[in-house]
Amino acid sequence: MKPAPFDYNKPASLSLAVSQLSETSGSGKIIAGGQSLGPMLNLRLARPNSVFDIRQLEELRGIQSDADSVSYGAAICHVDFEDGLVEDATQGMMRHVAGGIAHRAVRNRGTIGGSLAHADPAADWVNTTVALNATFTVLGATGRRTIAAPDFFLGAFTTSLNDDEVLEKITIPRLSDEAAWGYYKICRKKGEFAEAIGILVVDPIRGYARAVMGAVDAPPIVLDDLARSIAEAGTARDINLDQVVQQALPDANPISLRHHCVALQRAIQQVYPS
Amino acid sequence: MKSISLTINGETVTGQVEPRTHLADFMRGQLGLTGTHLGCEQGVCGACTVIIDGQPMRSCISYAVACDGATIQTVEGFDDDADLKALRTAFSANHALQCGFCTPGMLMTARDIVRRLEEPDTHRIRQELSGNLCRCTGYQGIVTAIASVIEQKPMAAKTQESRPKEATRIVAPKPFSVVATQDAPGTKTLSVSKLAMIVDSEGWTCLNQTLDLPHPQSEAWAFFEDLNQVAACMPGAQIDTIDGNDIRGHMQIKFGPIRASFDGTAQRKTDPGTKSGTLIGHGADRVSGTAADGGLTYSISALDAQTSRVSVEVRFKLTGPLAQFGRSGLVRDFAGRLTSQFGENIARVMAGESLATNAKGNDINALSLVWSVLTSRIKELFGK
Amino acid sequence: MLDQGIGARVLRKEDDRHLHGRGQFVGDLAMKGLKEVAFLRSNLAHGRIRTISKPAGKEALIVTAADLKTIKPIFADSSIPGFKASNYPALATDKVRFVGECLAACIADTRAAAEDLAEEIEVDIEELPAVIDSLKARAPDAPLVHDDWSDNLFLTTSVQGDIETLAKTAPVKVTRELRTGRQCMHPMEGKGVLAYWDFQAGQLVVYTSTQVPHMIRTGLSETLGLEQRQIRVIPPDVGGGFGYKCVLQPEEIVIAWLAMTTKRPHRWVEDRREHLTAGANSREHHYQITAYADNRGRLLGLDAEITVSVGAYSVWPFTACLEAAQAGGNLPGPYDFQVYRCKTFSVATNKPPFTPYRGVARPGVCFAIELMMDAIAREVGRDPMDVRAENLVKSEQMPYNNVTGKHYDSGDYPASLKQVSELIDAQAIRTRQKTPEADGRLIGVGFSTFTEQSAHGTKVFASWGIPVVPGYEQATVRLTPDGGLEIRAGIHTIGQGLETTLSQVAVQELGIDYDQVRVTLGDTASTPYSTGAYASRGMVMAGGAVSRASQELARRIRRIAAHLLQCKDEDIRFEDREIRARGASLSFADIGRAWYLRPEQLPEDVNTMGMEVTEGYKPQVDTGVFTYASHAAVVAVDPETGIVEILDYAAVDDCGRMVNPMIVEGQVLGGTVQGVGTALFEESPYDQAGQPLASTLQDYTLPGASDLPWIKLGHIETLSPYSAHGIKGVGEGGAIAPPGAIVNAINDALKGHNVEITQIPATPERILSAILAAESQQKGAAS
Repeated sequence: MKPAPFDYNKPASLSLAVSQLSETSGSGKIIAGGQSLGPMLNLRLARPNSVFDIRQLEELRGIQSDADSVSYGAAICHVDFEDGLVEDATQGMMRHVAGGIAHRAVRNRGTIGGSLAHADPAADWVNTTVALNATFTVLGATGRRTIAAPDFFLGAFTTSLNDDEVLEKITIPRLSDEAAWGYYKICRKKGEFAEAIGILVVDPIRGYARAVMGAVDAPPIVLDDLARSIAEAGTARDINLDQVVQQALPDANPISLRHHCVALQRAIQQVYPS
Repeated sequence: MKSISLTINGETVTGQVEPRTHLADFMRGQLGLTGTHLGCEQGVCGACTVIIDGQPMRSCISYAVACDGATIQTVEGFDDDADLKALRTAFSANHALQCGFCTPGMLMTARDIVRRLEEPDTHRIRQELSGNLCRCTGYQGIVTAIASVIEQKPMAAKTQESRPKEATRIVAPKPFSVVATQDAPGTKTLSVSKLAMIVDSEGWTCLNQTLDLPHPQSEAWAFFEDLNQVAACMPGAQIDTIDGNDIRGHMQIKFGPIRASFDGTAQRKTDPGTKSGTLIGHGADRVSGTAADGGLTYSISALDAQTSRVSVEVRFKLTGPLAQFGRSGLVRDFAGRLTSQFGENIARVMAGESLATNAKGNDINALSLVWSVLTSRIKELFGK
Repeated sequence: MLDQGIGARVLRKEDDRHLHGRGQFVGDLAMKGLKEVAFLRSNLAHGRIRTISKPAGKEALIVTAADLKTIKPIFADSSIPGFKASNYPALATDKVRFVGECLAACIADTRAAAEDLAEEIEVDIEELPAVIDSLKARAPDAPLVHDDWSDNLFLTTSVQGDIETLAKTAPVKVTRELRTGRQCMHPMEGKGVLAYWDFQAGQLVVYTSTQVPHMIRTGLSETLGLEQRQIRVIPPDVGGGFGYKCVLQPEEIVIAWLAMTTKRPHRWVEDRREHLTAGANSREHHYQITAYADNRGRLLGLDAEITVSVGAYSVWPFTACLEAAQAGGNLPGPYDFQVYRCKTFSVATNKPPFTPYRGVARPGVCFAIELMMDAIAREVGRDPMDVRAENLVKSEQMPYNNVTGKHYDSGDYPASLKQVSELIDAQAIRTRQKTPEADGRLIGVGFSTFTEQSAHGTKVFASWGIPVVPGYEQATVRLTPDGGLEIRAGIHTIGQGLETTLSQVAVQELGIDYDQVRVTLGDTASTPYSTGAYASRGMVMAGGAVSRASQELARRIRRIAAHLLQCKDEDIRFEDREIRARGASLSFADIGRAWYLRPEQLPEDVNTMGMEVTEGYKPQVDTGVFTYASHAAVVAVDPETGIVEILDYAAVDDCGRMVNPMIVEGQVLGGTVQGVGTALFEESPYDQAGQPLASTLQDYTLPGASDLPWIKLGHIETLSPYSAHGIKGVGEGGAIAPPGAIVNAINDALKGHNVEITQIPATPERILSAILAAESQQKGAAS
């Protein structure tokens, strides 16, 4: 299938993109790599009147780093993380995650910001940024604001971005040398949508611990109390994970529950080998 | 139409394209470069893989207009490329192609593997090839062909290092205190119950919810008698005409980048005796061909003289493109949010609040609040 | 001539063009004034059409059934008594019967614009209850797919063996209910057709991506009402077929009609979404099956009921009953037993019409009988390998007439099983299973053996009662004036490399240089009639024809050469790309020149038919030549996720004489991976309303390179006593055995968990759900 007709604009700056977008009153759509939007356009499911291409905006491809965090421009491609071309604030976690997204040809064009704004619950970056407690900076017609990752994702394909807002950068708090992470994805086939994603991040120096259950057809589920219990005990031995998962997903079918439980357990095991 | 200029296989080409024309169609149609094949146009099969600015990418989900100024290489090019020459020979020698349809894309990916990775084993080659589908060969000849070219290649010519091995942790981090830096879970208390969601044997998705209102039963019932008021609480819905119990209206759906506008009719039946009612309707988005059958059943009981409980069941079944996906959980998540928002809006309107609106009336974006509260609740679950 | 002839691993003639992106597929063709067509398709599985309204002012750009008045519907009857035929209109008339059925053709300069047009059409269809589940469809009160039928059954068949008597005495009885998923075939190139009117020839020219060009001409003629001489069908490069492209499709008729009536070129190229939703059309079987055996697991009898959900319409020419008829006929497989009772049901459902996919019915029946074989082995407490080996037909029994009267011509079935078990080192796996795996996964090994009738003969096809019965296959060979050889055959190459292998057959007979041979296939204007490339018949039939034609050409060349070299015909030898006798030699160019340009040099008694020969071929015994193979799989099952990894896989086949072992291996490998898809990944699920739930390749999983281990191959070469050069067909076989071998391996891995998988694809969800069910059952029993 071929897309329905749309107008195409390549604004010269992010602020222009925002002002042009705001004039479409909701019928415009930002495109960067287009690796998620493209298939939906081709299937005529996505039908924007106009698209605004921000892939090549230099201001969205840079990084800023300081002692506490690294900010990544939204148009940085997955491969830049995968190949170590941008600094990794997370002790290898982002690099690992990037390498597992779809396939190389998609990673060459797809961007971190595009993936986040698309907000597919099964997407790696969606779950990873929540696990890392990232902050998103968005620019809108009325100015700039920041949103914590857990508040950004509202539902499948739904974020707290307003119609006139564009994701500008993703700020990731640094993990210290002593930090550890576990990431486990259950996929039927390499490159496909995950059935379940389990993540655990702990950083003794920062006193940070977070567990995330992802690919639940809805935004990532943050299990901070679970993470705290494990981090403070220094072991996951006494955790009844089945119960945690069951409580968090009361409506899930037994297979989905088992998958989420296993993904989380294996992610935890990567950090706390039993 | 947009004017574009790009370099393809060393030649500068210009063209006029519709923005919706993807790179593969532009090259195949206007330029006659039909070597690049379209296997799915869904970004999955890899048949359309070409080299854009030095990197393999899918030309079916790269729009020609977005490639203005880019340098493209396709299977028709590479005349002086030693790697592709070696791959062509190896593909033939190892029977790495049968019908030949996936071959151009396969060669583009193969060349990237040969140039990018330092001595990948066959396992790694298979992983890297997983984004290119072949239906004829079973891949074995392709893997062998690529491995044979890598073997012949002198070490110095291999450009990039391979990825570092994942560190396997042997020792667990020592116990430490966690600083509560994270946002406190949402504190707003809601009168809306959590949704219960099932799919029945007939394929209907059913969402059940109760809503406790600080209003007497009669007041709640009166609210539900006013269809305009009820509709105003359903995000995206608008009533056009009401003729007795026959309602005509439309509903805007915005599900991420997916937009649809359902025009439809509904009939209402009410039973003042039991304080219950149903709305049964059918609507269709003519453009996409998606149709929905749906029903809303509500009953209002008195909890005490001053408070009442509304039980709502929403049922729906879709046909057409939006129904034809394996990941139906995403649609259910969406419907669940709609239903939750509906309940929340009723509570707010009855409490005298006004709904978040914009120029288009009640907007789907108003979905945000409920969901963030619901997820916060889930956060609280552990540790209780 | 083994360096280039039969048995040589020569490189393929087809490769070079594809490696440079110079293949010519339907979508690649360019033509002045070409109009692109998009089809508006039904979004409902079952409904009565009220109105289809064209947008005002654009009526001429849209064609509906009302415009196609002169076209006949596709009508594929069977002569088997009791068969109900269906009228399959090219564009839906009164009712729609599956999601994806064509409602209207929209014409524009680009496909995108044609799709825009389709969105403007208003369709009003009254939805009717859909018939989705094939068992429910058999119920007396089920809604009817075809209103004028009394039930939803295209056909029921039965084989009546005396099971009752056996049931009283057989010591072991094993019963299972088994299911296979509905699949799409997914050639990487979908269907495509381009048609135009050739004013010079006075012909409708149809380029179509097909396996059966001559049959398409016949079918188009019957539906369009145009004489066959007025139609020329040309198959360009075809990007895979697998059975999808061996029937006449509605879109082919509409495009041909548009070109015929408007005299302008029109094209339609199927996209993946269309393939997934309107082309989900194969493999969906249900088995209720009981096996009777002795205490050692020797199979005594089989009692089966097979239900096939064949979709809404009967396809031309293979009909709606081929699948079930084949299933009933092939279930006994390679096994030696005497009592068989089987009832089959070809059930009409509101799904796309069934098309015979690689292996036709046999992947299903092989899965069924092989699972029964393992179930019997578990029941009697023996190793499935041993039980299987004891039940196979032995080489000393060959030729063997089986319980359904199939005549197995040759081979050593137990030897293939033994060889394949050695390739995967089954003994070592049994040892490994005694110690738990470090990663907690469970290891299992499974086997599967099948025998496959290939190049079924005329009698066999005639017994299926289908509208077109294949007879002799013909080929033409022609020596050119400069000594090259041209082969023309009506069959088509769809990836299986017939340009290469048919050349090798000619090289074998004539000793001509492989590079001097050119092959033209499928063009109805220049090749002899052929029913086409399907049923693993190409190499046996067209190979046989090229062999015969080349032999006759060799006789004629020998006569001329003997005259030129002044020797006897019998002194002439074809050697080293030359024609030799007693130390003297001629080139093929010498012969060509003599015949075409210097006839004064020819002998008086020369055959005036000259250097062009058309010959036909049919094997001496017409009941098919039986290829067979054994496959073995070693799997690791993650009992926590249900995810299966194939750790090792091997296949040992016997397709008689291998014309090109490289191509044979390619066929076995490619088929095997499709079989892996059938076993583990591929399914087109439907909801209760008949909505297909897989419309993208994200929903429908095709096996990729990373899902597979290195597949080990072994061969046994038992020449068929009945075919030219002892060749047997090999195109389909690979796809038949994997579901049986893989699911047996999964069940072997899970045997300690009391779990048995009985449905494919064996997805993680299905495996995990079976494990969870067994767990809760155990808990229930314990409490």
